[in-house]
Amino acid sequence: MSRPTRREETAAGAGVTEAGASAERGTEGAQAEDVLLRVRDLRTWFPIRKGLLRKVVGHVRAVDGVSFDVRAGQTLALVGESGCGKTTVGRSLLRLVPVAGGSVHFRGRDLLALPEQELRPVRRSLQMVFQDPMTSLNPRMRVRDLVAEGLQSFGIGANEAERTERVAEVLRRVRLSPDHMRRFPHEFSGGQRQRIGIARALAVEPELIICDEAVSALDVSIQAQVLNLLGELQADLGLAYLFITHDLSVVRYLAHEVAVMYLGQIVEHGPTEPLFALPKHPYTQGLLAAVPSADPSARRVAVRVLGDVPSPADPPPGCRFHTRCPERFEPCDKRMPEPYPVGDPAAGETAEGRYARCFLYEP
Amino acid sequence: MSAVLEVKDLRTTFPLAGRRVPIVDGISFSVDAGQVLAIVGESGSGKSITALSVLRLVPKPGRIDGGRVLLDGKNLLEANIPAMRRVRGHDIAMIFQEPMTSLNPVVRVGAQVMEAVLLHERVSKAAARDRGLELFRRVGIPDPVARFDAYPHQLSGGLKQRVMIAMALVTRPRVLLADEPTTALDVTIQAQILELMRELQRDFRTAIVLITHDLGVVNELADEIAVMYAGRFVERGAREAVLSQPSHPYTQGLLASMPSRNEPGKPLYEIRGVVPGPDRWPPGCRFCDRCDEAIDVCRDTVPGPVQLEPGHVAWCHVVERARRGGAQ
Repeated sequence: MSRPTRREETAAGAGVTEAGASAERGTEGAQAEDVLLRVRDLRTWFPIRKGLLRKVVGHVRAVDGVSFDVRAGQTLALVGESGCGKTTVGRSLLRLVPVAGGSVHFRGRDLLALPEQELRPVRRSLQMVFQDPMTSLNPRMRVRDLVAEGLQSFGIGANEAERTERVAEVLRRVRLSPDHMRRFPHEFSGGQRQRIGIARALAVEPELIICDEAVSALDVSIQAQVLNLLGELQADLGLAYLFITHDLSVVRYLAHEVAVMYLGQIVEHGPTEPLFALPKHPYTQGLLAAVPSADPSARRVAVRVLGDVPSPADPPPGCRFHTRCPERFEPCDKRMPEPYPVGDPAAGETAEGRYARCFLYEP
Repeated sequence: MSAVLEVKDLRTTFPLAGRRVPIVDGISFSVDAGQVLAIVGESGSGKSITALSVLRLVPKPGRIDGGRVLLDGKNLLEANIPAMRRVRGHDIAMIFQEPMTSLNPVVRVGAQVMEAVLLHERVSKAAARDRGLELFRRVGIPDPVARFDAYPHQLSGGLKQRVMIAMALVTRPRVLLADEPTTALDVTIQAQILELMRELQRDFRTAIVLITHDLGVVNELADEIAVMYAGRFVERGAREAVLSQPSHPYTQGLLASMPSRNEPGKPLYEIRGVVPGPDRWPPGCRFCDRCDEAIDVCRDTVPGPVQLEPGHVAWCHVVERARRGGAQ
């Protein structure tokens, strides 16, 4: 296993303080099994300002009480339509947006409570890959420097020559040629640029990569290349992914677990196969029924979810989905449902780890 | 049934490195009333330029260099400018992926629909308003009276696309060119728009040319599918035939690389390499550099059409050879 060696490197190379490193190990022992990232009741609200004095008149509750775990070496997909808050969750984890509340524990340390300088080594273990590499890669930097940037800032590699060697190695890893090092991002195709984005993340040896719509902008033949690469990297390096996407067929293909988001909340959560086979929340059911299939015998998507998503600045009272729900009944517009365990053990389904935020399942 | 729109040997070129390169290279197809033809391809295949060529709206320095575009047998490529203007919007309407780029952001959406009505029909303003509202209702815009006075930015993506479709329907066009009409929409909204397009096809018997990269959307709407690669069709046929018995290695690869057609976790089929730029197209079959089955003849000879069954055609030397082998 290369992981323990790598962790020592982090401590030494990135200059984590003695205290910090030992505290990390201490809590790691106490932390349950293989949970790498534990998010509890995460809330990210953006203020709505109005008028001359820019007075705060309300909040957009982009993320409103989100909880999940990402296990080492596994993929959790955070799936939802535009405006559901999935991207804000990713940004909140790295504190790229101000978080209103909740906790984010990475290997036992609460990232939301850490001072900025102690956050740096954690950022090394927690990398991000974005949808459009063209907007996240500096167009004036050569590939070598783009990939080496992280190495430099975390003090990895003794000198430039060593870092160049490391860049070459990472490029080969993402199936690019080390000959590409002297080129600029615009000289590459979309799929190749996404590989450069992945190489950048990979160079600093992270444990978890947050992929925000990482394959959404790619043509299907190129998407397959990048999905296979992500699969290989997970198998070889034991990487965990938080895969943020709207594309349900990609989710079914690669995720171990799925969390479905709607208007800032997770409405259903569970292991991928049972969730796709028998979705419980009416929103998940409608979402899955709406996905067109390329199977000529399975035509006709069903329109079960009517209308549009309400504004997250003014979410409906009670269950946030009740305005579009085909199954709504009397409690739905009055109270907010909790995540209730779902799944029928008698039918061979395990209730373990499956939750739906829906009154149909209220005990 | 006779074709409403027939395109024959269409050739649209763009200048590149001192010569004119055919971005659309000898494309032929036809659509009947009430039929949906889907042109499927990845970015750079030339599918959008094909649609723009039909309306003679190819952006400069592009230029149509050959072929015919027949609307009810009349060649639009020979029509004069006023005649062409009548065709656009009147006989052939087009909707785009991003409705925001085709709606005027500073004019209320109702006024834009009324303008389209007044442009094509000699009616009073009040009658145009009534007709606009009727169309808003027809395309399923909830609370149409209130939405009539909204500006485009006040509407969601799905509603904007409905407004675009309402505008396209003003003249009851016989042909609708839909360029990635649902690509920018969420999947639940996409399902609603697909349903609406099916209704239009049924109720108005509109002939639809659907341009898309999404084989799932194609399966939902198309009667016939044409797969386009680097400016040419590589396979064409009825929806079931192309999706269940794909014959061209490119079509086969596209379908095999879809996550939804694969078992979770198993490696996906990869079409190696990338779509070559028009300056790097091989002289023979343009897919040969990425094709696992390519043989010598593929590199320098352009493949001709091979009929697999009535209406199902593939342009591929390997398919041709296999058929000849089987016939012997």
